[in-house]
Amino acid sequence: MNILNNKSLREQLAASYVLGTLRGATRRRFETLLANSAQLDADVQSWQQRLNPLAEFAQPQTPPQRVWQQLERSLNLSAISQSSGQSFWRNINDNIAGSLNFWRGLGLVSSTAAAVLALLLLMKPADNGMPTPSLVAMLVNDKAQPNLMLVADIKHHRLTAKILASQNVASNQSLELWAIPKQGAPKSLGLLAKDGSISLPLPEFATTQDIAMLAVSLEPLHGSADPNGPSGPVLFTGAWQQI
Amino acid sequence: MDQQPPLRLWLAAIAKKDTQAFRSLYDATSPNLFGFLLRILVKRELAEEALQESFVSIWNNANSYQPHLAAPMTWMTTIVRNKAFDLLRRQDDTVELDNDNFDKDVLNAMESTALTPNEHLQLTQDAQALARCFTKLEGMQQQAIVLAYYHDASHSDIAAQLTLPIGTVKTWIRRGLDRLRVCLTAAERT
Repeated sequence: MNILNNKSLREQLAASYVLGTLRGATRRRFETLLANSAQLDADVQSWQQRLNPLAEFAQPQTPPQRVWQQLERSLNLSAISQSSGQSFWRNINDNIAGSLNFWRGLGLVSSTAAAVLALLLLMKPADNGMPTPSLVAMLVNDKAQPNLMLVADIKHHRLTAKILASQNVASNQSLELWAIPKQGAPKSLGLLAKDGSISLPLPEFATTQDIAMLAVSLEPLHGSADPNGPSGPVLFTGAWQQI
Repeated sequence: MDQQPPLRLWLAAIAKKDTQAFRSLYDATSPNLFGFLLRILVKRELAEEALQESFVSIWNNANSYQPHLAAPMTWMTTIVRNKAFDLLRRQDDTVELDNDNFDKDVLNAMESTALTPNEHLQLTQDAQALARCFTKLEGMQQQAIVLAYYHDASHSDIAAQLTLPIGTVKTWIRRGLDRLRVCLTAAERT
């Protein structure tokens, strides 16, 4: 029987494969099929997605320090972190916690809320007279202070930015806005005007699920010479939030 | 709003060998994963070994993690569970299955989550949905699935443990998993 055309049999085998009750020769045959079928692989992943949360119901226990110390030694982590030029990612990584905390506390930050409102009012009204922003992002500096507000109006394909704290940008420098995917190189969204504002056509890729982070870097006047990422320091970072 | 730590982003950074992101991921997820490993392996030194090997794997394979196919915890849990079962099978003496004391708190934790979701906000949405669907299964089905999931138990191990005929066990598990799928799929759509 061709199991690949039989959905209920496929489900059943994928489920018992993930659970572990599929054994012996049947399991090995299944694994051979699995290596050659994207459909079967998707079935297996769905079952992992369904069953793996079972693991969360064990009582959490903090492992002893020595586990991390051994990991550090066996992977030689201290040498890696000193030698590699990963400051761009590290910078982002440091900032994301700050930006999450910032959003959790948003209700308390009335001046920022006012800035959000002001920005929404600047936007082009939609058919019902209300602005239709779909996503906003608050970009924060390394001290988690909000610096730049981005609004993506998906309906009208516009990206609007508003700077909240004025920046000292030299006359031969610019601020460049980046969309950073989960994998692959950052993509430039454009340069900010001197007053920090921007209103650009919103490229499709800028708001997909794949974009993990937005960032602003300090660049030469005409932007980063490197098409695959910032050449200067990353000043602010943040992520899209649905509103 | 996303209250969970940014695991996807950390994994993306780890793929680029960012040691700080690795530390953040370890700090955020190791207590859960270690608790899970202790459940499977019982002995602390084995659980520590499995945890360490798992994180070596996570470090080495983060670049093959596909965010559109699996949630980060799902991906990591699969790695951890496979490591644990490898170690379990290498042991000379089998770990005693003491189902009465052993899995009761897992089942209780799920029941409590299903009844009072607001007291279990540290769990992922997926785990809360699973708890709601899992607790709708018959008690025997719940036990059989947990035995297989946590202890690498075969149909005949489970039949011995629950003193049921093996054919009955197979049917129970198959129907249980099917009900789980239907319930979770319905939950996704609402």
